[in-house]
Amino acid sequence: MKMNKKIDVHHVTRIEGHGNILVQIKEGNVEKVEWQIPEAPRLFEAMVRGRSWQDIQTIVTRICGICSISHSLACLKGIEDAMGIETSEQTDKLRLLAHFSEQLQSHILHIGYLVAPDLLGAKSVVPLVESHFDVVKLVIKLHRIANTWSDLLAGRTTHPITFKPGGFSKIPTEQELRDLHTTLTGIIPDLKTLVSVILSLVDKLPAFERETEFIALVHPETYTFYQGEIGSSDISKTTPLDRFESVVNEYVSPQSTAKWARWHRDSYAVGALARFNLNSAYLSPLASEIAQMFGLKAKCINPYWNSIAQLVECGHIVESSLLILEQLFSTGLKTEVPKVKPKSGEGVGCVEAPRGILFHRYAFDQLGICTTANLVIPTNQNHGNIQKDFEALVPLIMDRSEEEIRLWLEMLVRSYDPCVSCSTHYLEVEFIK
Amino acid sequence: MSNVVIGLGNALLTDEGVGVHLIEKLARRHALTSFAGYLEYPDNTQDSPTNFEFLKGSPTSQPEQEIEFIDLGTAGTRVLHAIAGKKKAIFLDCAYMNATPGTIRKFTPEEVESQKTSEQISLHEGDLLRTLELSRQLGECPSEIVIFGIEPRIVAPGENLSPLLSTRMRVYLDLIEQELYAV
Repeated sequence: MKMNKKIDVHHVTRIEGHGNILVQIKEGNVEKVEWQIPEAPRLFEAMVRGRSWQDIQTIVTRICGICSISHSLACLKGIEDAMGIETSEQTDKLRLLAHFSEQLQSHILHIGYLVAPDLLGAKSVVPLVESHFDVVKLVIKLHRIANTWSDLLAGRTTHPITFKPGGFSKIPTEQELRDLHTTLTGIIPDLKTLVSVILSLVDKLPAFERETEFIALVHPETYTFYQGEIGSSDISKTTPLDRFESVVNEYVSPQSTAKWARWHRDSYAVGALARFNLNSAYLSPLASEIAQMFGLKAKCINPYWNSIAQLVECGHIVESSLLILEQLFSTGLKTEVPKVKPKSGEGVGCVEAPRGILFHRYAFDQLGICTTANLVIPTNQNHGNIQKDFEALVPLIMDRSEEEIRLWLEMLVRSYDPCVSCSTHYLEVEFIK
Repeated sequence: MSNVVIGLGNALLTDEGVGVHLIEKLARRHALTSFAGYLEYPDNTQDSPTNFEFLKGSPTSQPEQEIEFIDLGTAGTRVLHAIAGKKKAIFLDCAYMNATPGTIRKFTPEEVESQKTSEQISLHEGDLLRTLELSRQLGECPSEIVIFGIEPRIVAPGENLSPLLSTRMRVYLDLIEQELYAV
């Protein structure tokens, strides 16, 4: 019997932002499969034009509430690159600590609140409070610690206020960092508990694979989040950051207010799985152990396992942070006051946000006024890949019930941990008269 | 600090942001030092690091009764962390109470029932009553919770309060401050 099915999801729940799924199957043929982004444009690239170099970070950090530290860091590195501002080793270490706090916060939020309900058969985390109270309590504890950690380095959990071009306006005291060291050491058993919970549920993740190009920051002998060049699983050569436009090749899709990206194939993926696939050799011992427990190896091409890669990274983040703290204790903290003279120039800042590689390009005039900006967000780089995953997946599962097809597609979107609001763009529209 | 006052709402939706407007005014009235925390005053000076201190206010001048003022805006999920282990929490928010627009009512969670259904379409979603219940289950809920709900006149895109609510701000602040003096 030829089947007819329609799946129309407005909007997908448990992701950041708004996205729709549309599938139409008629007479046994897949007529339409679309991942649509209706999110309103954010206009940040236009907003920063005409603003002072001193204000840019405060503005663009507001692109997102979950990855605001990542946007801040990419922005500051872009300004510093444009104006030839150097940062001290202490600044870079403290920034990386702040960056790690956000990675942990974001990954735990994603795994615990957004993905776990699917694995436990719930529509949201709310019913899990009754059925799996201990797990919810553990997730809340880890999330809270990560938030407090962000407060310590960035001044507050969302939208940093201690960051400035060249350094910090305020740094923690050594005692505060020692307390952080104690706290992070203390959560390793909690992380292992979360790992064992997710391990017991990993069979609930669909077994779907599609050959994909993965792109991430790479740096010699480092599982890097903060520095390096652009790496791809399709080529061995890396690309310098200032040529990122030749990598992302953004283009407009009619079904999306966010641009799409492509390089060696029709689309590519960024995020934790991309980082793992390119850099897994340099994971910390705990992270490697977690990866082994799941049997996660590079090159993994199941997009649902991005969440597992995030869990692996949680181990790396905590262990790496402990090492950074110990390095800071051995050198001691110094009061450093950034002295910056603005000048004209153009620069690129790039970091790995929780969801993937993030690019900020800025140009400034001689007074330090921003003249142009180009921001390329991890999630808009992933939209095309989500679409291609849909196109490959739907024919394989179209015999299943509409409810199951819908669940698989929603879980697929969630696995990318999309930050849809970050990804939407201002579209330049030309009216042809 | 054992007491916390939390302003909730979306300041870009006219009266939906009344909680945010209120907390900003309260913070200015009661702050003893310059503050940051959840309310930002970016430092553009390059000569010296800025010391940010958490907002403090003490109507009775007793340190043990210092009050934390927090603008949580639309960060619904953060309520849980902001109230953890506090003695008393006061919430300020826009609320549909079937009352005349501009009405302010004070109530406790036990006195009301939620009409909200949440499927987590947005991470900004927060069901306050459910969050308080979760806080209780975690054993970290304040022993005293007071909610001030204000019936909106307009909930639509806009950066300022409606004229009706604007003219009543002083009344709201006086009522809320009576609760602060009672801590």
